[in-house]
Amino acid sequence: MRVEYINPFVESAVQILKETVSEDVKRGQLSLRSSIASMLGVVVIVGLAGQVSGRVIIDMDRQTALNIASRMNNEKLTEFDELTCATLTELANMITGKSVTKLHELGFQFDLTPPALLTGEKLQISDSKVETLVVPLELPEGKIEINVGIKEN
Amino acid sequence: MKASSDFPSINAKEADGLKPEGTPYKILIVDDSIFVKKQLSQILQSEQFDIIETAGDGEEAVEKYKEFYPNVDLVTMDITMPKMDGITALEKIMEFDKNAKVIMISALGKQELVKKSLLLGAKNYIVKPLDRKKVLERIVMVLKRT
Repeated sequence: MRVEYINPFVESAVQILKETVSEDVKRGQLSLRSSIASMLGVVVIVGLAGQVSGRVIIDMDRQTALNIASRMNNEKLTEFDELTCATLTELANMITGKSVTKLHELGFQFDLTPPALLTGEKLQISDSKVETLVVPLELPEGKIEINVGIKEN
Repeated sequence: MKASSDFPSINAKEADGLKPEGTPYKILIVDDSIFVKKQLSQILQSEQFDIIETAGDGEEAVEKYKEFYPNVDLVTMDITMPKMDGITALEKIMEFDKNAKVIMISALGKQELVKKSLLLGAKNYIVKPLDRKKVLERIVMVLKRT
């Protein structure tokens, strides 16, 4: 996978998180995800299809997800109800929407699928057909990992 | 109950949600995300707009618009929704009422759809994440333009 694909997603995530959650977002080291990987527990998946295909996964643990959703709603959320899920889904929509705009400007044409939210303990993901890069982002609310797997068609 | 004359008027700013004669503008919010619905409602209610109803998809939006017509001053319309998308709902509302004031709410990355909706009669658009100032500015601009 070409590294230039991941930057628009990470830059967009940082910008949107700064606007909606916290000014204090630190970008960690880029790494290659192993073919079977453990997820942190709350996973939002958005698919990409067009000139390129693949997916973007936003992954965080349960408490981080609740902290972030609380921050975005200006109220304390303590459970995974409809509002919490709608908030996290909207966060993914905003991040991927912004990234796609950046990638369109660079000449890549593709569409996004609506986000799907999965939660569970000991979640594992296996998608060995698509090489995936991971960038961790640290916020006062917790750690978020942005996984981007893209291949050119 | 206090009459409005009981409150000091020096430096008091009229709420954006009130018409010149003092009654609130009536708004229909259309969005499939309860997060966005809540965010928009909070922003608008803080300026005394009257949220007459919310709808979660395009079909419901068209039904509600017809039900409340002519007592709807403005519609905020999400683009991507289940059953019927916001562009189709916009078309149907414009067919029913050519003077309808509809503002599109869009995530970035949907410029083509936003352009299409403006050609179909949407009066303006707002890109998410929703910023209070931007939301009020655009809505007030559309409402005050006759």
